[in-house]
Amino acid sequence: MSDPDISDRDRYPTLSAHGQSMLRFLQEHPHAPIYRNQSGNRLTLEEVNRARAFEKRVRSARVGWEPQTEPEWLRAFVEECFATVPFYRNHRLDPTRVSVQELPTTSRADLSHDIAAFVPDTVPTARLINFRTSGTTGHPLLLASHPFVAASYLAFHKRALDRFGIELRHGRGQVGVVLVGYQQKCFTYVSVTPTMDESGLAKINLHPADWRDPEDRAKYLDALNPEVYTGDPLSFSQLAQLPLKRRPRALLSTSMTLLPGLKTELEQRFACPVLDLYSMNEAGPIAVANDAAGGHVALQDRLFIEILDPSGARLPPGQRGEITLTGGFNFCLPLLRYRTGDYASLGFHRGEPVLLGLEGRPPVMFRTDAGIWINNIEVTHALKPYSISQYTLHQQADGSLQLRWVRHGAATDAVRRALETLFGAGQAITIHEVVRFEGKIVQYTSDLPFQP
Amino acid sequence: MENQGPALEVLLHRIAETPDDFLALPKIGNTGEVSVPAVVHDLCERLGAPVKAEALASFAGTDPKKDRNRLSIALLLAWVLADDWFAGIHPTTTQVLDLLGPTSVQLAQHAASTKYLNDPDRREEVARLVLAHFGYRPAGESKAQAQDRLTSLSLVERERVLRAAREAEARARTIREALAKKAAEESADKWTRE
Repeated sequence: MSDPDISDRDRYPTLSAHGQSMLRFLQEHPHAPIYRNQSGNRLTLEEVNRARAFEKRVRSARVGWEPQTEPEWLRAFVEECFATVPFYRNHRLDPTRVSVQELPTTSRADLSHDIAAFVPDTVPTARLINFRTSGTTGHPLLLASHPFVAASYLAFHKRALDRFGIELRHGRGQVGVVLVGYQQKCFTYVSVTPTMDESGLAKINLHPADWRDPEDRAKYLDALNPEVYTGDPLSFSQLAQLPLKRRPRALLSTSMTLLPGLKTELEQRFACPVLDLYSMNEAGPIAVANDAAGGHVALQDRLFIEILDPSGARLPPGQRGEITLTGGFNFCLPLLRYRTGDYASLGFHRGEPVLLGLEGRPPVMFRTDAGIWINNIEVTHALKPYSISQYTLHQQADGSLQLRWVRHGAATDAVRRALETLFGAGQAITIHEVVRFEGKIVQYTSDLPFQP
Repeated sequence: MENQGPALEVLLHRIAETPDDFLALPKIGNTGEVSVPAVVHDLCERLGAPVKAEALASFAGTDPKKDRNRLSIALLLAWVLADDWFAGIHPTTTQVLDLLGPTSVQLAQHAASTKYLNDPDRREEVARLVLAHFGYRPAGESKAQAQDRLTSLSLVERERVLRAAREAEARARTIREALAKKAAEESADKWTRE
C-alpha cells in the first residue's frame, strides 16, 4: 500500500532518531500485527508548536454560553463564513441583517453533494487531507481536513480526560495510544505523536485475520503498554476478552452508543475510566459523557450547539430535537447550522452546555403490546444495564420485535425480560445473536406506520 | 453590494456635471494637459488612502493612442470618487487603485470615455459599477435588484461575473483533485476515529 510519491519525510516531517526507533519498535515487534497501510502526523515544526498552544488554550477555555443566548464569537464567525465559503455565499443573504436562527440549515446531503463548496477561499489546497464516512443515511461523505485539524483532536481528548482527573504522561520511548478496531477490513498503521515527544501511536485491527497468530494480540499490546486505548464498544468488547496483563489509564469510546452496562464492565475489566465521547468526522469530539452532569458535556469552546425541531426552529433548553452545530475547529470545513442527524435536549450544568439523552438518528416509535407508542429512547433506557456491544431492534408490520445483537456478556433471558417489561408480557420477541455487524448499522427501525 | 449607498440620481448628476479639469486630455509624454498620477495622488489623500509614488506609475501612460481612453476614464472615475460620500466609507488604497486602474482598462475596452459621460445608460453603468466596487448599491434598491440592473447594463460586470464563476469552478476542481490524491487519502493521525 505504500506510495513512492509519499516519503516518511512527508508523513513525519519532524521525526527524530527517538521517533524512528519507536516506529521500528511498533512495526518490527515479533508479535506485531500485519500493518496494512501507512500514515503519519504530517506536522511541520511550526504546526507542532501551534498544536501545543492550541491544546493549552482548549484545556483552559470556558465552553458555553448563557441559556437562551448565543456565544459572542458567533456573529463574526457567521460573517466570515458568508465572506469566504462558496456554499454559504450562495445563500445570497446579508449575514449582518439576519439572525442566526433565520439562517438556512446545512445537511449531510449538502456536504455529500459537493464538499469543495465548503472549503473557504482562504484555505491553501496543497496539504488537504480527507476523512471518509460511510454513514447510514445514504450519503457517504468525503470531508476536507488538514493535518493540524487531525492533531487538534488530542486537545479535546485531554480536556475530556481532565474531567476525570487524568493527565496524560507518556512521552519519548513510550506508547501513548492504541486505536483499536474490530472489522474485516481496517486501515492500520503506526505513527508517533510529536506534541507528546514522539510517543507511539498504533492503529490496529483485533480481527484475527490481521495477526500471524491470534495469541499475538495480547502479547503485542502488553509490550506496547499504551497509556490510552481508543475504539468503539464493539472493539472494546473484543479487547476485554484478551488476557492482557497491563492496564491503560483510560479508554476513549467513540462511534457508537456505549451502554452503561458495557461501560461498567469495561471499567471493571481495565480498572480505569471509560470515556464515552460524542464525536463525528464533521466536527471532531463534541462532548463527553459525565454522570455528574447527567449527559454529554460540550468540549469545544468555538462550537455552538442548537437543538432544532423538524422545521428548523430552535427549541428551548429541555426540549428534545436534532443537534445542530455551528463553528468547529476544522478550518477546512466551517459548519453553519449543520444538522447532525443525532437527537438530544440541551441542558446546562454549572454553566456548561450538556446534551441530555443523546441518541443517534431520528427517533423511531415502537408500538407496545397494549397499543401504546413509545420512543426508541425508552428501549435504550431499558437495555442500559446490560453488557451489549452493539444491537439493532426492528418492529415488523405484525408488531413483533427482532433484536439482533453482539452479546458480549449479557444474559439473553434478562434482556428478553427487560423488553417484555417495556413492551408487555404478550409481546412477540425474537433474539438473534450475531458475531458482528458489517459496516454502520441503523439501530432502530420499524415497518409499522406511527399512529399517534 | 451588501450595503446601501447614496441615491443613484446623485451620482448620475455628478457624472453629468463633470468639470472641464477632469475632461481635459490626460498628459501622456508631450501630449495632453492633466497629470493623471497627480490627480490620483490628490484623490487618495482626500479619501485618506495613502499611496506611494511607484503605485502611480501606470497612470502616467506611455502611448497616447493606447492609453488615452483608459486614462480619461480614470479621470472620470476620480471625479466620481471625489464626492464627499466616498471619503465617509474610508476606502482602502487598493480598492481605489483597483477601480482607477484595472476597471478603467476594462471600461475602455468597450466604449470611449465620452460615451460614459454622455450616454445615459453608460453613465448609469459607471455609477453602479463604482458603488458595487466598494460593496454598495443605490439607496432604495434590494441587493437582487441592484445586481440585476448592473448585470444587464454592464459588459464589464457580465465579464466579471463570468470570470468569478470560472475562478470558482477552477478552485473547486483544485480542491477535488487535492482531496483525491493518495496523500490526502492517507490522511493524518487522530487519536480517535469516528
